[in-house]
Amino acid sequence: MARDTKPLNRRDVLKATGVAGLAGLAGCTGGGGGDGDGNGGGDGEDYPSLGNYPIEGDTATFGFNVPQSGPYASEGEDELRAYQLAVKHLNEGGGWVDSQFDDLSGDGVVGYTIDYVDGDTATDADQARQSASGMIQRDNAIMISGGSSSAVAIAVQGLCQNEKVMFMACLTHSNDTTGKDCVRYSFREMFNAYMTGQALAPVVKEAYGEGLKFYQLYADYSWGQTQQASMNQFMTDVAGWEQVESVATPLGTTDYSTYLSEAQSSGADVLILNHYGLDGANSIQQAVDAGINEDMEIIVPLYNRPMAEAAGGAIENVYGTLAWDSQIDNAPSKEFTEAFQSEYDRVPSGPAQVAYAQTLQYAAAVERAGTFYPPEVIKQLEDYEYDNIGMGSEVMRGCDHQAQRDVPVVKGLPGSEQESGKYYEIVNITSRDDLGYACDAGPAAECELGSYE
Amino acid sequence: MSILSDIILILLNGLQQGAIYVLLAVGLSIILGTLKFVNFAHGALYLIGTYAGVFIALNISLSNGKLFEWGFTTFGLDLGFFAALVLVPILVFVVGLLMERFVARPFYDRPDTDQILVTFGLAIVVQELFRILFGSNSLPFDQPETILSFGSFAGIPVSGPVALPIVGNFPQWRLYVIGITAVLVALVYIMVEYTDFGLVVRAGTRDAEMVRLLGIKITRPYIVVFGIGAALAGVAGVVGGPLNVVNPTIGTNILVPAFLTVVIGGVGSIAGAVVGGIVFGLTTAALVSLAPAWSQVGLYAIAAIVLLTRPQGILGDEEVAP
Repeated sequence: MARDTKPLNRRDVLKATGVAGLAGLAGCTGGGGGDGDGNGGGDGEDYPSLGNYPIEGDTATFGFNVPQSGPYASEGEDELRAYQLAVKHLNEGGGWVDSQFDDLSGDGVVGYTIDYVDGDTATDADQARQSASGMIQRDNAIMISGGSSSAVAIAVQGLCQNEKVMFMACLTHSNDTTGKDCVRYSFREMFNAYMTGQALAPVVKEAYGEGLKFYQLYADYSWGQTQQASMNQFMTDVAGWEQVESVATPLGTTDYSTYLSEAQSSGADVLILNHYGLDGANSIQQAVDAGINEDMEIIVPLYNRPMAEAAGGAIENVYGTLAWDSQIDNAPSKEFTEAFQSEYDRVPSGPAQVAYAQTLQYAAAVERAGTFYPPEVIKQLEDYEYDNIGMGSEVMRGCDHQAQRDVPVVKGLPGSEQESGKYYEIVNITSRDDLGYACDAGPAAECELGSYE
Repeated sequence: MSILSDIILILLNGLQQGAIYVLLAVGLSIILGTLKFVNFAHGALYLIGTYAGVFIALNISLSNGKLFEWGFTTFGLDLGFFAALVLVPILVFVVGLLMERFVARPFYDRPDTDQILVTFGLAIVVQELFRILFGSNSLPFDQPETILSFGSFAGIPVSGPVALPIVGNFPQWRLYVIGITAVLVALVYIMVEYTDFGLVVRAGTRDAEMVRLLGIKITRPYIVVFGIGAALAGVAGVVGGPLNVVNPTIGTNILVPAFLTVVIGGVGSIAGAVVGGIVFGLTTAALVSLAPAWSQVGLYAIAAIVLLTRPQGILGDEEVAP
């Protein structure tokens, strides 16, 4: 299915000419002289060429750029399953296409059949950029989606802004993705570290009391940095706690024992582990092995299913937030879980739900716009209100392209009560009204989206 | 917290982090020293050891990979950790023999670069094979609760924290890792230094041709050396596996630190591998404790300093170094 080798067409020749003519600018989408009359499907409106628009032929290609290796590989694997399911439903119907997205027909998107290519970001920004670049240049992808690692999402969305190809961010949780690094061509469904802090602070204050001291370890890149800053802000302001220290650990660290010894001897009451994916599974497991949970309370701000699966019983009573969970009781959540289970015989993770939702969200916006022409699709998504992906009533805010949505807060179950797909109990689904920030406040204050064209 | 407890913690953490590298480096180093063979697939042996350890010791539920798709929902014999500690080295020893016969031997007389390419390729093949079979998802490798439990004897508890004087709670299993490493390395050292077999191996290292002229078949000891090196990597996988979660990349991730340990300690010397591992572990632990931002750099800085000032490694013998 992936990476079909098409014969050379007019657009490729134009591109090659453009690149050759602009030596040194290799990597730009050439074809500026194209007259935009190459529409093969139902995309009837005439818009100028932009990025990979117009699409040659009658197949539109999506690029799914996920970590298939590196510390977030487990998350990436589940995302890819969801992307493949989304493409299948877009072409053949099924899942939310039939039940939740009235804009979608289940017979392709505005007359085009959807195909996809996938790539491996290796949880590394440079590799992710190269992979996305290949999808844009070689495969003529009209939309890129992916993430797991904010460093990756930020790098790729920057590239997409330059190339005028849309990016539907999947799992990225850094404040910067829709803060200082925000771009016009990217939209994020996932909430951010700031909202995690807002959602967790009242819950842990209630559970553990006021006046505590906390110690943080964080993954040393965009996500971890903003995550620990937000935790510091809200644990201090809302819970009335005091930070003892916050220590950076390199992404991909496998042995946290020395870091944990330091935390253990710091005199703090609470340990906040701002680690995700494999790193999170390792750090929490090692914290429990060291008996830290006997002396301190542990918080893992951002959870997901593969992580909980790997950490096993170590997550008992550990609070955190997650993108989505199959235990959430509403129609879209159940439908997605059923569709995913019938396809893959497994319970979907939070990142999978985000991947699936983002792909359909993009396709539905294309249908509403009646074209793949990116600026029109972007306008359809900006300030779009929806209530069809299982996370309550949401709005994709126009000023920073950040979804305003509820955030589930969970607590890990003991190992004996865990079973496949059920690793935590949902403590609270924090309403979007209690979360977020205005367009001129918080991370959004630093966001400048850039141009449509 | 007192300075004394800080120092003890750094020592303990350093030793336990170094221990796994020592086990790998001893195997790498004797293979490199005696056979002059650069084995980049050594990490793959660690990987095989870890998965074999999970298979023998536990019975875990699968949710990914081809095995799951083929209908295997659980994986493992649930024989307990001690069984894994005994059986895995034997299994990986055999894997080592096969690797020696079919991968290493045809490449003994080829340049280092060829050896690196073929073994690195093999490492990737093994890694991807495990990824296909088990998926990229991480498997939990729980630390053993107890070892040596027979009948009415409940066994020795080895998991969870243990309260140490001065420093307080410390993960008990990590102390056992240090102990198991020490015993195994001592055994290998005695074998190489004080047995006839060791004598032949050491003589062969000095001058293989002369040993052959004396009528000694040197091929067999060499195969055994390869197997022992492999078995040590397998043991490292079993004792090191429960320290982290298990996934197909652990083999390649541990390869570079293991090679650096050999470089720091000196090729072909068991004592060198031990010193390298300890220097390596202590440096990382001390830097994490004092200047966390430099902890990753520190390791490579030490390797660079050793290479510049003493290219053969701290305890390396210039003649033996390839």
